[in-house]
Amino acid sequence: MKTHARFHAVLAVPLSIGLGLAAMRSPAAGQSTPDRVTTDTPQYCMQLLDRVSELVRIRVHPPSEVTDLSTEGQRMCDQGQTRGGIMRLRRALILLRQGAAR
Amino acid sequence: MNDRQCSPPPLEGLGRAADQGWGEGENTPSSEPRHRRSPLWLFRSASLRFAFVYALLLATSAAALAIFLWWATAGLLDRQTDAAIHADAQGLSERWAEGGLPALVLTIDDRLAGNVDDDAIYLLADPIMRRIAGNLERWPSTVRRTDVWYELPVRRAGITTLARMQRYDLPNGFHLLIGRDVQVRARLRTLLTDALLWAAVIVGAMATAGALLVRSMFRRTLANVSATAAAIAAGDFAQRVKLSGRGDEFDQLAETINDMLDRIVRLMDGVRQVSNAIAHDLRTPITRARTRLEDAALHAHSPEELQAAIERATADLDGIVAVFQALLRIAEIEAGSRRSAFARFDLAPLLADVAELYGAVAEDKQVGLAVDSPDRLPAYGDRDLVQQAVANLVDNAVKFSPPGGQVRLRAAAIQGGVEIVVADQGAGIPAGDRARAIERFFRGEAARSTPGAGLGLALVQAVAQLHLGSLRLEDAGPGLRAVLTLPAREDGPGG
Repeated sequence: MKTHARFHAVLAVPLSIGLGLAAMRSPAAGQSTPDRVTTDTPQYCMQLLDRVSELVRIRVHPPSEVTDLSTEGQRMCDQGQTRGGIMRLRRALILLRQGAAR
Repeated sequence: MNDRQCSPPPLEGLGRAADQGWGEGENTPSSEPRHRRSPLWLFRSASLRFAFVYALLLATSAAALAIFLWWATAGLLDRQTDAAIHADAQGLSERWAEGGLPALVLTIDDRLAGNVDDDAIYLLADPIMRRIAGNLERWPSTVRRTDVWYELPVRRAGITTLARMQRYDLPNGFHLLIGRDVQVRARLRTLLTDALLWAAVIVGAMATAGALLVRSMFRRTLANVSATAAAIAAGDFAQRVKLSGRGDEFDQLAETINDMLDRIVRLMDGVRQVSNAIAHDLRTPITRARTRLEDAALHAHSPEELQAAIERATADLDGIVAVFQALLRIAEIEAGSRRSAFARFDLAPLLADVAELYGAVAEDKQVGLAVDSPDRLPAYGDRDLVQQAVANLVDNAVKFSPPGGQVRLRAAAIQGGVEIVVADQGAGIPAGDRARAIERFFRGEAARSTPGAGLGLALVQAVAQLHLGSLRLEDAGPGLRAVLTLPAREDGPGG
């Protein structure tokens, strides 16, 4: 009888702690409808491509890495891999800016 | 024998007594109400208090560790995000100050174009919250205050993620919202929360099990001590607290209690022995005095004979009074009340005085008395008591020396004190009796025929103990050598 009571005590304490903490971390109700981010769209991809192309035209000898990234970014955006394409175009843009700064 | 002695309490009862305090009169009828379990008994239980403190300490330590982990991981990421947003806001504010709205729009577009991590969120809105620049399609309706950090869901490439953002108000009613995508950090936070939840469950289980274990150990230990105390209270002085053998604090406590019990038993034995000795040793002179008085009353033929009988009886009674005075003197010395009289003194003239005092007696007995002492011998203690102790030793030596024998009184400084040695060439004390020779009223076989009450060495021993010194009895081959050692430090006894 006494052993059972101790066993229940050993179980009850951690379980109540666990349940209490689980209740505390449940997500808050009433979150608003998510607003959309516009820098992951094909349109934005095209905008970035235009900026990169313009800077490439300005530079006499743009680095091959820039043209590679630009080409790959454009191809990925065309194939619907918008985020990957945007990431490559952003890298190309940063390289161009770094080159201009030097 | 009453009920209290007949029925020792069961172990479980002792454990409960232990819970409620040290030996709270387990067997006494007057303490019966204490054993009724009131609703508050749990709060009075020392073992439960220890268990609760253990569990509380463990839980507190675990909580402190969890808080530190959170602060060093999720908290650090939060702080980094906030710092990045603040730095962004600072830069954009400067651009606004330099070039106004067009410069700010350009800067936002540039920053979005260079955001390789794809986690930045900007939104510049006019006074009526219409979008001017940035990558959020509209101003979130919940973002109204500038002094609050907002964590809102946003949709990025068809996926809902979490963004942390803050609003900044610009001059002319324009508004700026700057944020970062914190989805990765939110995922880490969820993982960390889950891990901490499980850790809390495990810590809870360990704290509960540990608390029960601590309580059980505490109760077992106290039950052991309590059972021994109850047995002693019931008159069984042979009982001792059991040692676990681990040598831990509980074993040390048990050893201390057992030493205390041993000393109590020794003291009680001593009291019993002294009582017996007093009864035995005083019965003879009292009976003798009574017989003399009775005989004189019945058979004296003249006032002179009656007077002589009374004088002999008075002498017997004076001897009894002397014995009682000696006993009281020893008790006074053992009580330590004379420590206030401790002072530095020179032992050399003291030894000379004693030698002079007993010189005549020794001469009468044809016993030589030689003194070997330096001119000055500093000592610390009660001069009168030390003189009495030395006198007792010399008195014994002269008393037990055969005619033509030699008594040597020697004193010297030793490491940390002084040593006084009195040696005779008498019969000595057998090795088996030497330990008991310092007890009150002890008289060896050789001393049966000599006058005395057997209190001389007991007094010397009491003086030695009062000075934190020692008295050793050794074989002088032939004779006895008594060595009295007294520490010479002023910071010792009474210092």
